[in-house]
Amino acid sequence: MSDAAPTATARPAAPTGKGQILEVDGIVQTFGGIRAVNGATFDVEKGSITALIGPNGAGKTTCFNVVTGFYRGNSGSVRFDSEEIFREPAHRIARRGMVRTFQITKALARMPVIDNMLLAGADQPGEKLFNNLIRRGASKAREAEIHEQALELLDEFNLRKLQDSYAGTLSGGQRKLLELARALMTRPRLLMLDEPMAGINPTLGARLLEHMERLRKEDGVSFLFVEHDMEVVMNHADRVIVMAEGKVIAEGLPAEIRENQEVINAYLGGGASQKETERTQR
Amino acid sequence: MIGAAMPLAVNFEAILSVDFLITVMAIAGIYAILAMGLQVNVGYTGIPNFGQAGFAALGAYIMAVLVTGGPDGDGFMSFWLAMPIAIIVTMGFGVLVGTVSLRLRADYFAIATIAAAEAVRLFAQNADAVTGGNQPLFGFDNSFEGITDGIEDFLESSFGWDTPLFTGFVVVIWITLVLSAVVLSRMQRTPWGRVLRAVREDEEAARALGKNTFSYKLQSLAVGSFFGALGGGFLAMYFGVINPNNFEPAITFLAYGVLILGGLASYWGVLVGSMVLWTLIESTRYLDIGLSGQQEASLRFMVVGLVLILLMAFRPQGLFGKREEMVIGE
Repeated sequence: MSDAAPTATARPAAPTGKGQILEVDGIVQTFGGIRAVNGATFDVEKGSITALIGPNGAGKTTCFNVVTGFYRGNSGSVRFDSEEIFREPAHRIARRGMVRTFQITKALARMPVIDNMLLAGADQPGEKLFNNLIRRGASKAREAEIHEQALELLDEFNLRKLQDSYAGTLSGGQRKLLELARALMTRPRLLMLDEPMAGINPTLGARLLEHMERLRKEDGVSFLFVEHDMEVVMNHADRVIVMAEGKVIAEGLPAEIRENQEVINAYLGGGASQKETERTQR
Repeated sequence: MIGAAMPLAVNFEAILSVDFLITVMAIAGIYAILAMGLQVNVGYTGIPNFGQAGFAALGAYIMAVLVTGGPDGDGFMSFWLAMPIAIIVTMGFGVLVGTVSLRLRADYFAIATIAAAEAVRLFAQNADAVTGGNQPLFGFDNSFEGITDGIEDFLESSFGWDTPLFTGFVVVIWITLVLSAVVLSRMQRTPWGRVLRAVREDEEAARALGKNTFSYKLQSLAVGSFFGALGGGFLAMYFGVINPNNFEPAITFLAYGVLILGGLASYWGVLVGSMVLWTLIESTRYLDIGLSGQQEASLRFMVVGLVLILLMAFRPQGLFGKREEMVIGE
């Protein structure tokens, strides 16, 4: 096979044509007798903003947890930038450049905002106990770089004036921004955002989306995000992946997904009430 | 004398004496060392290590057995070699306990550590051939006494001070404590200490940012058990003999009392908290209200309880803890 990215050419929509950053193949995660994720298969293209949608209980968050190493999946394959990472510990996956946020924001409440940021800085030799005894210089030098990077990001996210506040005192929206800024400190290649717009006001939500667009353009960061707001998904995602009952039932451009009968059925059927569907589809 | 006319009288003269201060500093020093390790674990990493008495027992017994060569031995190893070995083995034991039980939820982990500590104590109680069982083990403190006697001789010859019992011990243990507080406070400000705090706040968030949280929890436990072994060593030196009863779980609980009184996430708080707690406990000796010896012993622990209740009511963050850190919850 001489074709560099055979899967990419087979896709109907490849906005960048740079291949896949993430290839998930048939992952399964069971809890007792329940198959929360039941053979989900999908790809995320390099440099894309991809949305992951589906009715409640479709297995989206579980899928996130398996892909990012927070759950040890039962079977399947996850390739990040062409390397197999299935069942690797979460911290190693994060170090490879696939960094996630959480549905319920995890600000490190009793640490100042600036420490939240500095913590995420990559390659700090001072994180090893003995380097603080023998290689203090290297640690200090890296700390200065990380600090500079943190202040830049806090500026971009309008959080700099809060740098000395405890993260626990921030508003819900500010915490979402902090979590995103903190994730960016790791210099990720793929950001996995679990419901980034949930519980924040529309203005902040719009800002978050702007940040995503900018990061994709300037730094080539790819995004996979779980979202329930269909307006956001249809207007801002390049591609949409739809899950239902632990499987991926559709993948494609937003316009295609909107017309897909199987997707409509998934939202209407499977025990979901009419009201629920209206809420989700808005 | 007003005191004589009152039914409840305190002998303030005795409490304000240097002898009393030295007595308190000796015992407070031991508990501060033990609590210093707990501060690393509980205050900064958020792992409830309830096995500090066990780490102390292990450290003390390994040191004592290595120095004496067992209950019937006639000396086996120098104290200066035995103590580091005891500390290193205890740290290894801490890592072992952590490896098998850190995956448990916090409350179950706490129970597992109590169990580990009791296992050590009961082993010491029953392994007669090695530890002497319930017979006290002694004769391990000559090298250490050489140091403390030297200090006392120096103080006597230089300042003409007729040093009370334990003066040399107090000098050694408090120098150790101040050094420990300085080093630990500095370590806490390094990127390493920052990761520990992140583990305390939210382990999953730390993992999501690429931190191997399990490894950091083990490191924290290794540091905690280092202080456990060190405290055990000092405890052995304090009594001059050791037997398993010296390492009851109550030791751990009193060290927690020190920790809570001093305040979480402050190493200097540990030193002050221990002094305050033990001043109060030891002062009950000088309460002249006609109690029997046994009643007085019970009173000591009632005092601890009362102090902790008042603390929780009026200053839940402890003497040196940060109130903001108490208020912010998730």
